[in-house]
Amino acid sequence: MKRFGFHESPVLSSKPSFWRARLVLIVLALAFVAVVAKALSVQIFSNEFLQRQGERRYERTLVLPATRGKIFDRSGSVVLASSVPAKAIWVIPEDFHKATPAQIATLAKLLGVDARDIEQRTQDEDKNFVYLQRQVPLNVAEQIRQLKIPGVQQLTESRRIYPEGEVMAHVIGFTNIEDRGIEGIELAFNDRLSGQPGSRRVIKDRLGRVVEDVQAAVPAVDGQNLQLSIDAGIQFDTYTALKAAIDEHQAKGGAAIVVDTRTGEVLAMVNLPSYDPNDMAQRTGPALRNRVMTDTFEPGSIMKPFTASLALDEGKITTKTLFDTGNGRYRYQGALISDVGHFGTLDVGGIIQHSSNVGMTMISELLSSRDMWTKFSQLGFGRVPQTDFPGMAAGRLRPWQRWRAIERATMAYGYGLSVSLIQIAHAYTAFARDGDMVSLSLLRRDGKPTSTQVYSPRVTSLMRSFLEAAAGPDGAKLAQVQGYRVAGKSGTARKIVDGQYSKTKYRGSFVGFAPVSNPRIVVAVSIDEPSTGGYYGGRVAAPVFSDIVSSTLRRLGVRPDAPVDSLVAVADQGGHAR
Amino acid sequence: MTRLAMLLTLALMTSAISLVTVRFQTRELFVASERLKSQSHELDVDWRRLQLDRAELARNARIDALARTELHLVPVTQGRTLYLQESAAPAQPDASGGRP
Repeated sequence: MKRFGFHESPVLSSKPSFWRARLVLIVLALAFVAVVAKALSVQIFSNEFLQRQGERRYERTLVLPATRGKIFDRSGSVVLASSVPAKAIWVIPEDFHKATPAQIATLAKLLGVDARDIEQRTQDEDKNFVYLQRQVPLNVAEQIRQLKIPGVQQLTESRRIYPEGEVMAHVIGFTNIEDRGIEGIELAFNDRLSGQPGSRRVIKDRLGRVVEDVQAAVPAVDGQNLQLSIDAGIQFDTYTALKAAIDEHQAKGGAAIVVDTRTGEVLAMVNLPSYDPNDMAQRTGPALRNRVMTDTFEPGSIMKPFTASLALDEGKITTKTLFDTGNGRYRYQGALISDVGHFGTLDVGGIIQHSSNVGMTMISELLSSRDMWTKFSQLGFGRVPQTDFPGMAAGRLRPWQRWRAIERATMAYGYGLSVSLIQIAHAYTAFARDGDMVSLSLLRRDGKPTSTQVYSPRVTSLMRSFLEAAAGPDGAKLAQVQGYRVAGKSGTARKIVDGQYSKTKYRGSFVGFAPVSNPRIVVAVSIDEPSTGGYYGGRVAAPVFSDIVSSTLRRLGVRPDAPVDSLVAVADQGGHAR
Repeated sequence: MTRLAMLLTLALMTSAISLVTVRFQTRELFVASERLKSQSHELDVDWRRLQLDRAELARNARIDALARTELHLVPVTQGRTLYLQESAAPAQPDASGGRP
């Protein structure tokens, strides 16, 4: 084979045509132009769109959930309501059908439901989201997660827990499944308790881990904590005392409220029957009713001190004015007004003590309807109390222009108008203080409370002594408390059934304050439809009052103001008790 | 001229490397802070849970039942209370004394 060098190659000997080289050059140039054009369109013209698309693939907005505030009692150490995280268990039915029967059985057992129930609810494959159960505790949720059942997913939510249960139920109320307050304090202070959820924009990596914050996060603001005026201990004592009475008298219901006369704080508020707010199934029916605030009733005799004080205040009567109540029967404006006994001639103190309807009618004759109406509405009757609480009843107090003379008389002893227990307790703070009514609060109060003067101090101090006698040996003596002087008034009102006063259904109530020498608390008790062991307020409600006062004053550390047959030790100079 | 170019190149390299390092450190610190945040959240949840557990155990109804049934205690009455009176000071009308 002939060998020759490179330059002698026969291929090179032929002269290549110039146009081919041109063609290659032009094609290459065109290719470059195409690349530049594409770069231009991607980098400049559709830049924004592409960047957005990219962000959508790795940036996420996370919602930072805010935790609902806690509710404390007045001491600040007893938790009455608090939120803990919980999980909602949900499934994708299509994937869930791959689960084995054993897995479903275990899941059903953990959730405490029937396996067949789960299967039935997940039958529809068209759905792609079915809640199995909500508010599942974290430890159960963790066990479910470890089962690794196909199609079973979890969502974070929060669960509200009420440790005190039915004792506090009506005060605190409860929240719904979406963590919104729907009853009681939870509703009244929902805005303060619920807080603001925050958000943050982050970059997530392939595994879903947060890598970086894109912009400054908006932090979640947790709900504020609330400190109530309620004292958990006093509330419990009140609950126990009331419950015992309800059981003893087989009453339909009952309510009690304890108010601190100095600060206007509500120390306890109990309603029976009650319910356990932790159990959603129990949150129905009449048990939910807050009888203290929403139930209005004809007060009966407990109204008498207000009318009598008005007459004394206006100088229409004095303590020396005498009324002849005769044999306890009195015809007035075509109606027969009667007493429970024959009291003869009484002064105003005697009328209050013996709760004489005839005597009150005679006092009312000296008063004008307008003055009575003005005083009653000043005392807060017929108006919604100025306390933040949902569903408070205003009661009924008709305008004085439409009162007939007989109504003026019946109103004087508590019929023909309706009030709620909290209104009564509120109005009685006027007697417990120097004629001024203190404003009530369900939240702990640090400043000085506001109060409005309704009676003169002279009249209220007189009325205190009358009320002390009314709760004395000749009155509702079951209200007495060992070691403390108490004052108060019992009331028994017939309930209205089908527009008529019932002869079998009553409401016994008792309102009073203690200790008389320097009143510290006002207690109002009402027992609805007692059926055994009497129905008079002095019989059914007064013992509850006594129990509540006794335990409350002890808890508050109030010094006894009545002689007690007890061991009183006098510390001598050395400080030793003898 | 060459010297200046060398110097600038060196500076450029240093800055580039430090940029990468700082970026890396940022990520690391971010992860650490995330971990601490979630830890603080967990602790808060634990605290809430424990507070509730305590509330459950210290519930008045439970204490009352235990005191009555297991410890056989009875409620104190005024008659069984020993009141101490400071002989020097005159009787205060309220609070201060009283508490047994």
